[in-house]
Amino acid sequence: MKKLLISLALLLSSTAQAGVAVIVHPSNASNLGQAEISRIFLGKMKSYPGGGPAVPINLAEGSGPRGEFEKAVLKKSASQIKAYWSKLVFTGKGTPPKEVANDAEVINLIKSNPNLIGYVSDTAVTGDVKVVATF
Amino acid sequence: MKKLVKVAVPLIAISCTPASFAEIRLNGFASIHMSSLNSDNGGTPFSQYNEGTFSFKDESLFALQASSDLGDGLTATVQFVGEGKDDFAIDARWAYLSYTLNDTHTLSAGRFANPIFYQSEYEKVGFAHNYARLPKAVYAGFDFSTIEGVALDSNFYVGDYTLTTKLLYGNWDGSVFLSTTGQDEFFGLKNLLSARATLAGDGWNVFAGSFIAEMEGGTIDQNAIIGAAAPGIAAAQALGATQAQVDNFIDSVKWDGKDGIYSYLGFNVDRNRFIVDFEFASYGVKDSSDGWNDTWFFGVGYRLSDTLAVIVHTEENKQDGADTDFLDGVSNPVLFATGAAIKESLSFSEYEGTGVTMRYDFHPSATLKADYFMGESTRTDIGDYSIFSVGVDLVF
Repeated sequence: MKKLLISLALLLSSTAQAGVAVIVHPSNASNLGQAEISRIFLGKMKSYPGGGPAVPINLAEGSGPRGEFEKAVLKKSASQIKAYWSKLVFTGKGTPPKEVANDAEVINLIKSNPNLIGYVSDTAVTGDVKVVATF
Repeated sequence: MKKLVKVAVPLIAISCTPASFAEIRLNGFASIHMSSLNSDNGGTPFSQYNEGTFSFKDESLFALQASSDLGDGLTATVQFVGEGKDDFAIDARWAYLSYTLNDTHTLSAGRFANPIFYQSEYEKVGFAHNYARLPKAVYAGFDFSTIEGVALDSNFYVGDYTLTTKLLYGNWDGSVFLSTTGQDEFFGLKNLLSARATLAGDGWNVFAGSFIAEMEGGTIDQNAIIGAAAPGIAAAQALGATQAQVDNFIDSVKWDGKDGIYSYLGFNVDRNRFIVDFEFASYGVKDSSDGWNDTWFFGVGYRLSDTLAVIVHTEENKQDGADTDFLDGVSNPVLFATGAAIKESLSFSEYEGTGVTMRYDFHPSATLKADYFMGESTRTDIGDYSIFSVGVDLVF
């Protein structure tokens, strides 16, 4: 019973501490806050404040970091985000970000393309990318 | 079926395009609703419904959109829609080219949405909004919500807010069902100029827009106005009305050459689980026998969870059928009375009502909606009525 309680406490503790890191190419010097990141991922901002196209990369639907990112940064639930993109897609005003399967794919894409911006679980960050914000 | 084949062949062709051509992106949306309308006196306030029966057609539709990024900011889009109320006959609702001039401006040309209401550009995409059907008082389903023309969409940042604007020029001709003649009557909108602005913040939008167009009277003038006035004109002439008086009368009542004006404003909030929607629209044909319309709806909702929302709304459609200012230059009493009667006959029925909608997102791409609406129409063949519907809206 004691082991179970300790395991549960550790699980809750790790869940509470798990965060999302927003990452860009190491050469990207843009200063990005929650508002700018939200605009980029909602298709409202297409360039970085310092210049250059901003291309967001999304994680696949249902992945843990995606839900946390949508809640913390975009301030919407998954279904609200889907409805939002439905409005843009079917009015020809935008297309949702390209999706990849996992954190490793996000990092692999971003480390080789200075235009990309993505997010991963903060425990997955490597030295190949630069963290611009955590949530 | 012929229409289906006409559409299917080009679709198959584009989906089989060689890899050296631009990639075609296919998206779709659908609504499968079971609905039932019942009224006290057996009439139906909206032509798409059959009174007293359960139907899977009245509110159901399927749509497929194909778009292709041709490179250098150029995009081609076509959207096909088949609605149950039209026996699912497929219609190329939109077909247009868009050119992204820069991060701020996008220019489009072709056949696309005429934004006569805030959500009219995606009113048929049930998944995109929270209502089982957008309130009919404002979203009346006019055919001129789709027109041919050019549009400039722009996006600006104003501090922490986003200002979105749309300027549009176009033309439209089509029909509207008139209860006074009992058939579809044709008319046109020429040199339509439209402007809309939306200011958006974190979880809220404020918007306003308007369009003005030169009316082409078509068969509305011929049948419902001048044709209907013929007995009155004959009676007036028999009592001594001059041709000049008759011509002046016809100029006063007809739509042709007059300004058609549409204006709307409103706001919506979707924040901290609360949903608030308000829209007001005012429209009509200026200085004519058309009665001015004022419509609005107000909705309040709450997200009980990330997947479940409930919204209560009230709506009203009013039309001024009694104003006779358009007859100020008509001195002959018979002609005056004829004009006033025509205006009254052209007035749509007024109605008001209240409804409740539940939205349950049971799947990442699909939502279950149930809706109950109670209304009251001034038309004597309708009276009190109710609409119940339940169904699924999805995107793919």
